[in-house]
Amino acid sequence: MPIKVFNKKEKEKILKSLNEQFGIREISGLVLQRGEGRLFLFQGDFNTGQFFEFEKKLWLERAGVYFGKIEKDGIRLSIEGSQILKDQITKNIFELDEEQAEKWMCGQELLIKVGQKGFIIMKCGEDFLGTGKASEEKIGNYIPKNRRLKSRDVVR
Amino acid sequence: MKTKKIPEMKPAFLERMKLLLPDEKDLQSYLDILKVKPVKSFRCNTLKISPENLKKRLEAKRWKIFQPWENYPEVMIVEGKYVRSCAQIDKLATDSVKSLVEINNTTNKKSLKEELPFNKVLVKKSDSVDFEVNQLRAKGEQILQDLEPGEFGRSLEHLLGYYYIQELASMLPIVALKPNEDEIFLDLCAAPGSKTTQVVAEMKNTGNVFANEVSLGRLRILASNLERCGTTNTLITKKDGIILCKRFKELGIFPDKILVDAPCSGEGTLRSSYQTYLMWNEKTIKRLSKIQKKLVESAIEILKSGGEMIYSTCTHAPEENEEVVNWVLENFPEMKLENIELPIKTRPGLTKWQDKEFSSELKKCARVYPHDNDTEGFFVAKLKKCQ
Repeated sequence: MPIKVFNKKEKEKILKSLNEQFGIREISGLVLQRGEGRLFLFQGDFNTGQFFEFEKKLWLERAGVYFGKIEKDGIRLSIEGSQILKDQITKNIFELDEEQAEKWMCGQELLIKVGQKGFIIMKCGEDFLGTGKASEEKIGNYIPKNRRLKSRDVVR
Repeated sequence: MKTKKIPEMKPAFLERMKLLLPDEKDLQSYLDILKVKPVKSFRCNTLKISPENLKKRLEAKRWKIFQPWENYPEVMIVEGKYVRSCAQIDKLATDSVKSLVEINNTTNKKSLKEELPFNKVLVKKSDSVDFEVNQLRAKGEQILQDLEPGEFGRSLEHLLGYYYIQELASMLPIVALKPNEDEIFLDLCAAPGSKTTQVVAEMKNTGNVFANEVSLGRLRILASNLERCGTTNTLITKKDGIILCKRFKELGIFPDKILVDAPCSGEGTLRSSYQTYLMWNEKTIKRLSKIQKKLVESAIEILKSGGEMIYSTCTHAPEENEEVVNWVLENFPEMKLENIELPIKTRPGLTKWQDKEFSSELKKCARVYPHDNDTEGFFVAKLKKCQ
């Protein structure tokens, strides 16, 4: 599937959604899409026109970093997405204690009543740990398998 | 813990190493260090965290961190983990008792008794463990022990992309190349991404970095590592290096810097990859030498005038190192060898190998032997395209 480079209007739509969800005001760089709703952020020096040329001649496998996914309830930021945009995230942040963060990074859903529904940024101290989805009873986990702590890895 | 048996070095390989290290003591030091596992080195990913903060975090986990290179605080080694708590001491005692119980249960007591005074052995072992534990308790001493299996590669800090596990010698090509912000950089044989992520960190995610890898399996690892490290200025391609360079030419992309960390026979990786002992053969070296020359030739064609290129391998084989660089000097007069400054002990490149004579310029290349710095083996040459 080719890489789609978002135009100004499309990028603004993404930004509007991120602003409403997390207070993000700016995304510097090109926003790209590859695969079903998978968003990538490219902050190199090439412009949209050059990207089309690269696609034709080089067939890019990946450009920039995967930073989020468009879901029907909004945009879910990846671990990197939450880390890259951390200075701008002002709302819908859920602070985890160390024990909760450990469970979170093991890929477990957290049985916590947040008091709201939808995507929330997971944070523990200085660490931004991606996005969870809050429902009435729990926070759904999206940590990909290759980024999970295994319980035997948790050494105190 | 099970330890793998080190395979025997092939006689032809040993003969070649004798030629490279003619001094007997030197050769013995080399052979000796091959039996020792390499140190656990890693590089702080400065795109996400500062070396100071990372060090503090890891030390809070009681890891003993050492920064071996004065001017490169991001380069670190974990020497082990301090164990001080009573719980750990108790674990030592419990484990010892457990193992004694196992001996007691599983051993044929009768036969053992015939050979050894079994009860006496038990008492003696218990005494020694008790003595050790009591001493630790009394002194409040800290013990430095190895990290537990998986602890290094699956720590929270690693999973969050705060550090990248990388062998010290493998960091040298980028140290030698000194990439600058806003440049166009091409890593022609990029997987698994150690040097690409190092470059991107040096360039602070500015400019453009092309990371190419021809193998699909290795490309996935590359993509995963670049993602974990948060590289936003990278473009990944999956092309044969020679074809990629042709496409670059058609597109008018002329990188400021190129890394050709070429596929090689891997003689320098014996400490971590025992497979190399088995796979090594002279035929492969000759075959690889041809591929390496083609890759370098293609890279030279697209290197910007005034640009710099690193040719590196993780092998000691001169056919894959000095012979390739000498071939470049003979066939591309615009290419000049540059001096390299590295933070570890290196030896000059060879000017003669078997019946072949090389340019005296080859002394500017850097050979890294494992026993000189307790690293893997490496070869680095820095070339400049003169205007």
